[in-house]
Amino acid sequence: MSRRLARAIVHRLYPRGFRRRYGDELDALLEDAAPGPLAVLDLLRGALVMRVRAPRGLSEELYVGERLRGGVSALLACWVLFCAAAFGFYKDTEGQSSFGDVHRHEILGGAHLVVLGLASLAVLLGAAPLVLAVLGHARRSPGRVRWLTLVPPLAVGAFAVLTDVLALAHAGRPAAQPTVAGRGAFAAWGLAGLACGAVCVVAARSVLYAVPVAGRRLLAAMACGTVVTGAMVAITAAVAVYAIALPADAARPAAAPTGPLQIPTGASLAGELAVMAMCATLAVTSTRRGWRALA
Amino acid sequence: MLTSLAEGPKHGYAITQDVEQLAGVRLGPGTLYGVLSRLEAKGLIEGLPAEDRRRPYRLTAAGNEALAEQLESVERVARAGLARLRAAGALS
Repeated sequence: MSRRLARAIVHRLYPRGFRRRYGDELDALLEDAAPGPLAVLDLLRGALVMRVRAPRGLSEELYVGERLRGGVSALLACWVLFCAAAFGFYKDTEGQSSFGDVHRHEILGGAHLVVLGLASLAVLLGAAPLVLAVLGHARRSPGRVRWLTLVPPLAVGAFAVLTDVLALAHAGRPAAQPTVAGRGAFAAWGLAGLACGAVCVVAARSVLYAVPVAGRRLLAAMACGTVVTGAMVAITAAVAVYAIALPADAARPAAAPTGPLQIPTGASLAGELAVMAMCATLAVTSTRRGWRALA
Repeated sequence: MLTSLAEGPKHGYAITQDVEQLAGVRLGPGTLYGVLSRLEAKGLIEGLPAEDRRRPYRLTAAGNEALAEQLESVERVARAGLARLRAAGALS
């Protein structure tokens, strides 16, 4: 059981370049020495380290197309988590946005809307050619790809149904202090949203690797991804400025508990900022790796 | 790991056993191949042709040099530490 689990970790969780270079050897090692639970944990830790900080030479094991696919799918994952962090803050603070005050300022509010609009357009423009290629392939060749293309709409549909059910259950009730059940429902809804995003990203990544896509389409997606990365960096910087200015905002005490989870606005904003900074950093790394593949 | 390879080429399992014998530390497979990949990327070791999926590794010239430098440094520190302990009368 442990051996099978260990092999599954090697073949599913380690980066493709690592698997191509060391996968067979690692398999042989797992045959020589039966892996125990500690070895399985060590493999999990190793896979995480390789994902975050792989040695430079490993990417040379991959074809250019694979490296571009890796870059594009990593950018998609970063964008989804980035948006989840912003939306999580918005919902957790009952409709406050980390740009709330920015909107009141004509120039800053306008700049924020331009950055958001540009990023959303870049996501659509970058994803559209890939989605069209995948749908075309799925129509021609049934099987795993066709099933995988159905996964994101099913996940989003299930999440939408869950949202509607919770909204219906909440409708008509007087606004009061959040109950334990209410907090639990909100936390479960948030986790379901994250799971939905993760399922969409994993399915999109699997499909992207399984379907032949013209190099120019991948290049266009990478170029759009670069715009999205720039937007993520700009938005993160703006949120950081807002976090610094929050204590000075008399209308919104940073320490006052708010929202369904009764978390202080300052703590919620700090969480949002940490996730955003992590996503923006990973996006910058992925963008650099993607472009380096072409060098 | 470099010390283990100093006596000649070894594959992953042999390195694990040797390191356990030398240092009393059992390397997990993830740690072993994480270190191997970094040492290879730094040019300190190189892989030889695989034998039945088991690829032996050996030190490169740069690896020999780096290992010698490290061991000399450790030796200097150990010698200084022992001398200070003796001077303080903590060692006979």
